[in-house]
Amino acid sequence: MHKNRILLTAAAFAAGTVALSGCSGGGGDKGGDGGGDASTLTVLDYYNNEPDKTLVQEALDACAEEVGVTLERETVPGADLIQTVLQRAQSKTMPDVLMLDNPDVQEIAATGGLAPLSEFDVDTSPFTQAIIDAATYEGEVYGLGPAVNTLGLFYNVDLLKEKGIEPPTTWDELKEASAALTEGDRYGLAFSAIANYEGTWQFLPFMWSNGGDETELDSPENAEALQLWVDLIGDGSVSQGAVNWTQGDVKDQFMAGKAAMMVNGPWQIPSLQEADFEWSSVEIPVNHAGEDSVAPLGGEVWTVPETGNDATKAKAAEFVECMSNEKTSMSIAEARFLVPTRTDIIDEYIEKVPDMAAFGEQIKTARARTGKLGADWPDAATVIYNAIQLGITGTPADEAFAKAEQG
Amino acid sequence: MTTTELLTVHPSAASRARALKPKQVVYAIIGIVILVIMLFPVYWMINASLQPSGNTLTAGIFPTNPSWAGYEKAITDQGANLVTSLIISVGAVIVCLAIAAPAAYALAQFRYRWISVALLIILIGQMIPGIVIANALYAAYNDLGLLNTHVGLIIADASQSIPFAIIVMRAFMMNIHPSIIEAARVDGAGQVRTFWSIALPVSKNALITAGLFAFLFAWSDFLFALTLTTTSDIRPVTLGIYQYLGTQVSNWSAVMATAVLSSLPAIILLLIAQKYIAAGAMGGSVK
Amino acid sequence: MTTATPIRARRRIRRDDVVKFMFVVPAAVYVLLFFGYPIVKNLTMSFQDYTTKTFFTGEAPWVGLDNYVTAITSNLFGPSLLNTALFTAGSLLGQFVIGLALALFFQKKFPLSSVMRALLLLPWLLPLIVASATWRSILDQDSGILNRFLGVFGLDAVPWLTSPDVALIAVIIVNIWVGIPFNVTLLYGGLQDIPEELYEAASLDGATGWKAFWHITLPNLRAVISVTLVLGVVYTLKVLDVILGLTGGGPANATQTIAIRSYQTSFIDFEFGVGAAFSNILILISLVFAIIYLRGTRKAVDE
Repeated sequence: MHKNRILLTAAAFAAGTVALSGCSGGGGDKGGDGGGDASTLTVLDYYNNEPDKTLVQEALDACAEEVGVTLERETVPGADLIQTVLQRAQSKTMPDVLMLDNPDVQEIAATGGLAPLSEFDVDTSPFTQAIIDAATYEGEVYGLGPAVNTLGLFYNVDLLKEKGIEPPTTWDELKEASAALTEGDRYGLAFSAIANYEGTWQFLPFMWSNGGDETELDSPENAEALQLWVDLIGDGSVSQGAVNWTQGDVKDQFMAGKAAMMVNGPWQIPSLQEADFEWSSVEIPVNHAGEDSVAPLGGEVWTVPETGNDATKAKAAEFVECMSNEKTSMSIAEARFLVPTRTDIIDEYIEKVPDMAAFGEQIKTARARTGKLGADWPDAATVIYNAIQLGITGTPADEAFAKAEQG
Repeated sequence: MTTTELLTVHPSAASRARALKPKQVVYAIIGIVILVIMLFPVYWMINASLQPSGNTLTAGIFPTNPSWAGYEKAITDQGANLVTSLIISVGAVIVCLAIAAPAAYALAQFRYRWISVALLIILIGQMIPGIVIANALYAAYNDLGLLNTHVGLIIADASQSIPFAIIVMRAFMMNIHPSIIEAARVDGAGQVRTFWSIALPVSKNALITAGLFAFLFAWSDFLFALTLTTTSDIRPVTLGIYQYLGTQVSNWSAVMATAVLSSLPAIILLLIAQKYIAAGAMGGSVK
Repeated sequence: MTTATPIRARRRIRRDDVVKFMFVVPAAVYVLLFFGYPIVKNLTMSFQDYTTKTFFTGEAPWVGLDNYVTAITSNLFGPSLLNTALFTAGSLLGQFVIGLALALFFQKKFPLSSVMRALLLLPWLLPLIVASATWRSILDQDSGILNRFLGVFGLDAVPWLTSPDVALIAVIIVNIWVGIPFNVTLLYGGLQDIPEELYEAASLDGATGWKAFWHITLPNLRAVISVTLVLGVVYTLKVLDVILGLTGGGPANATQTIAIRSYQTSFIDFEFGVGAAFSNILILISLVFAIIYLRGTRKAVDE
């Protein structure tokens, strides 16, 4: 009697499991919402916080009106976007319009989950090469973004004037200035060397401007760039805390007067406007005078997922085109302190928003992170931040990359 | 006989009857010191929430110049979310106890050969990373139309605490003296009656303790709140906090203020529940 | 004594048995629905080449034990295993000892004790993201309040979260703080269940204080203590958000644990098969403790 009970329970368990696996895996063909009827588009993005949420909503609404659709929008926190995308893919409930951070586009395109924009005759010529590179996989462009950002060097104008220091343009000047500005509990410079992609992002301008590359990580140029950071911390010009700081923490240090300069991006400008000191920005210093300052390209693109519904896909492509047209590009750039991706309006933009001058120039030479390695970028990015962490915690800079590559 | 008489005096009546002993004042002071040490980070969080910058970089020990901006934002934005969280948490407690209590009692008192297997499966369930469960649930909920519903979240949050509640309550219920159960059965009570009228009242502490945790699990759940909602119609406060945390810019004073404010109703509920964990729930019933 | 039941035919299921079965059916259904599928899925995923592409196409080629080999031979496996052991042992020791001490302390009756017990649960009420952010600012090397406090006594600033040597200790301290409410509440509930008469009787025999603790409290608390410890192990092995929030596994991978390896492999590297392998290794470790616990309770029931 007991044996039968056990068998029954086991059978029920197994049967239940099989039933459930059928339940979650297939999900039926839910391809695209409103099957056939293309008047509503579902949108997924990660602008879940204010003020971005409302600013982007305005742009979305404007384009919705222009294209003639209504929108159902879903926002998720940034760190959870990819996970949500994967969940949706698995249950075949992908949105009609999907926002992706530019370094993730190639990874998602490689799965076959996005529709190439050429299918819809979208014109990609007016845009900066960097953003096109980021959104291109195997020759096809999969997304467009209205505005982008990058990194620059912010500095406390009052403090620099007090010490009679000019904003640095080379690494040597950077080291001197940082050392001179370090006083009391204030450090000369702050940057983020945290153990995740944010740390990699902050390191890239130094790495790339020096001629280093992500295709060959264990190189003398990369080691030299790492040595710069190690020296800055070793001199005491940058706090050891950098190894655990996010870019938000770096901004907090700068605003609190605990750092005279910082490596950061223009999205911090709204916060900086509340500072009780004067600040300004320049391009990231280069190793030797005259070299190009190459910074990474940040920002999001709008893509059209493969939902199997041609009518909504066509509408979605129109929508994506609208989101990157001149009007939208300029309005989003102005509202969110980004740089438009359309090369023809960048100069006009810089005139309108002088605070963004350094970033506007930097964008012209900016580079996409996935430009060379595509879907293999995440591995390289991991090696880079591990190398940074190793270098700052004692491993010699010329060994750090090799060691990190083994990881 | 005198021992039993002493026990039946209500504890608070006893302490009211005599004046506060100095010993008790000392204990109270020690308690406060312990609390100060344990809760210092909470105080620090409150300090941060009152700073205009939302961080304590330039803050002293005391917030001498409090800025209420974070609280203003929190109050205007999170009111509905707080109610949602409360509904879901209380619902999860009810569902959890209703399902786990009988099971815990059965696993504690009945003799089954497969008890170990059952417990093992339950324990393994606790070891699964939450994210694997969330991914599986999304698809199922989508098919069943349970996304964005209170019921859906209540069921999901209860699922997290049921295995825990079973294991914990079983441990408590194993201490129920078999004689009182047998006495009831001898008197002709069926299994359900024995459970309801004898075992449950005696297991008050177990129920309240398990209920407390069920509430806490549901209250602090973020994963299911994120996965099982796609619109902002129903948004527990754990998810609501993310309104202030963007990919690049975060409003920490609002975040901290929300955390402080949302803890208040929860603490009040927990306080009430704690008062009921009384001593000697089982003592005196064994003759 | 149970009433004598007449001998019935072996095959007939007694009505009593059905009723008893119904006590566990709802819970069994629940556990099956919510955990059955994920357990099986996690297991099968570890034997497949599961990547982002799989979510879109459903294809996940079988690779046998390859994922496990990759996981175990990865450079970070050894250090993470060691860190996991240290982190779990350290956290559990701290949480349990402090939790028991506090639970015993709150047994005494004094004014405001129930208010204090409720307030002790505050660490659990705070969203982990807030708790981590607060602790990060407390432990900040330059301006954190802890180092400022130590400075008052002339001690040097400790690089809590920025030095590979200290970071694991810092993370353990925070995890102990997070876990104390859990331990206190469970142990307090268990202590309250011990009948007063046992202590009264013992004190009449002259056994108080330590003797009473050793001979009365501990034996009666055994069931709750073992539950607290086994659940403590299972939960601590899984800990993710505390470490991610404080150090992200750094600096220089000094706070990497198997749980973090599993998470990062799955959701940052998008190698879900290897991530599942890591988490199954973790489950195996938990299983060992679970089986020890079950052996223990089975003996107790049989006593």
